[in-house]
Amino acid sequence: MGYNPDKPMEGRLTDLGPPHYEQFMPQVIKDNKGKWLWHEIVQPGVLMHKSETGDEVYTVRVGSARLVTCQFIREVCEIADKHCEGKLRFTTRNNIEFMVDAKDKVQPLLDDLASRGNRFPVGGTGAGVTNIVHTQGWIHCHTPATDASGPVKAVMDELFEYFTSMTLPAQVRIALACCLNMCGAVHASDIAILGIHRKPPMIDHKRITGVCELPLAIASCPTGAVKPAKAEVDGNEIKTVKVTVERCMFCGNCYTMCPAMPLADPDGDGIAILVGGKISNRISAPKFSKLVIPFLPNTPPRWPEVVEAVKTILEAYAKDAKKYERVGEWAERIGWESFFEKCNIPFTEKSIDDYRLAYNTWRTTTQFKFTSHVK
Amino acid sequence: MPTVEHNGKSFQVDEDGFLLKGMEEWNAEWVDYVKASEGISELTDEHQKVIDALQEYYKKNGIAPMVRILSKTTGYPLKRIYELFPSGPGKGACKMAGLPKPTGCV
Repeated sequence: MGYNPDKPMEGRLTDLGPPHYEQFMPQVIKDNKGKWLWHEIVQPGVLMHKSETGDEVYTVRVGSARLVTCQFIREVCEIADKHCEGKLRFTTRNNIEFMVDAKDKVQPLLDDLASRGNRFPVGGTGAGVTNIVHTQGWIHCHTPATDASGPVKAVMDELFEYFTSMTLPAQVRIALACCLNMCGAVHASDIAILGIHRKPPMIDHKRITGVCELPLAIASCPTGAVKPAKAEVDGNEIKTVKVTVERCMFCGNCYTMCPAMPLADPDGDGIAILVGGKISNRISAPKFSKLVIPFLPNTPPRWPEVVEAVKTILEAYAKDAKKYERVGEWAERIGWESFFEKCNIPFTEKSIDDYRLAYNTWRTTTQFKFTSHVK
Repeated sequence: MPTVEHNGKSFQVDEDGFLLKGMEEWNAEWVDYVKASEGISELTDEHQKVIDALQEYYKKNGIAPMVRILSKTTGYPLKRIYELFPSGPGKGACKMAGLPKPTGCV
């Protein structure tokens, strides 16, 4: 029965939840669920899991752009139909995994993937750079300070060899968020790319009355810069807000709550780079990423400054860190002053925390290293 | 921005059908106009009670009430509010009451 707009609630199905995952499992996964003994990475992008029943499953991981067409999905399905009894999965970093139940089925799958140009790069396993977790950007969101898909493509093009190899001290997670809502993983990634504004919101007094709940805009400000105010529009006095510019740090929260306070600006907006976050508990506890480069300009379509910065940090880390050491663990071991020196990043006052609990981030010891790092 | 006409009254609305000028332009014709698109066949006293509660709270506080406050003041649990307004308290009831469109990560 088709949807009848005159009787919208008739025949309406709701609260069904997602389909149960078990119905989409390949047979070998279903048979061996909860019985896996060990696994190994056969080659970059190919994993093998061994079950206590003796079964083996080979997983081929390929990169994806996350933002894909139905046509692309159909091609993925076609590959799965041909090699994997019509089953496949997506990873938590939006890679695609094809699974086969015997070793001799792996090579035909790899050959098929390779025959499709660069559409299905195999990799993303072990100590390399896997897919970049990213957001909407200029494709779909209304609060971004930068694009998502564009910079991600530019960075992954430059780091592609690290996707298809496992030569780093440990895995490096790169994430991008197009504003500091930080949808996704930038606050806890080895290298994080974050869209930032540098100008205060412009207040549209003409619209604000109808579209904005003023107390919400006022309460949304983390620094108390938004205050109630009066303004005159067409000879009438209206209630509105004002922004104390010296207190504003351009987070954009007020625009999220109030459409009449836009702050995006082509010259003001850009990208900050944060490093050293992780989410696993392996050896050291999870860490937040920390700001090391306060601003790089938006330079579409290839963002060369951002690509250069990410690559420089990655290469300095690859050269200097010990095996199993994540970027944050490396930076903390050598000391952040050495991190800035080795990565050749000029330290600015923007990296010094000044928000509420800032004190604990300052150095309360005489232990430090002299660096020859003067820019 | 589009203007809609209904029973001789015209309203300025945004692309989601919320009143651009809010309660300044709101009147009974607006409620009558909105109910069709919101899947409401007949306006009952219960609908009116929710609309009145929203408008009263907005006039007093400058914001729409939180869902729990709306439930508490009207005495209707969330389930009942959805039965009255199938699109829910935000998209359905607030639109009908002439409150600003809900914002944030919705």
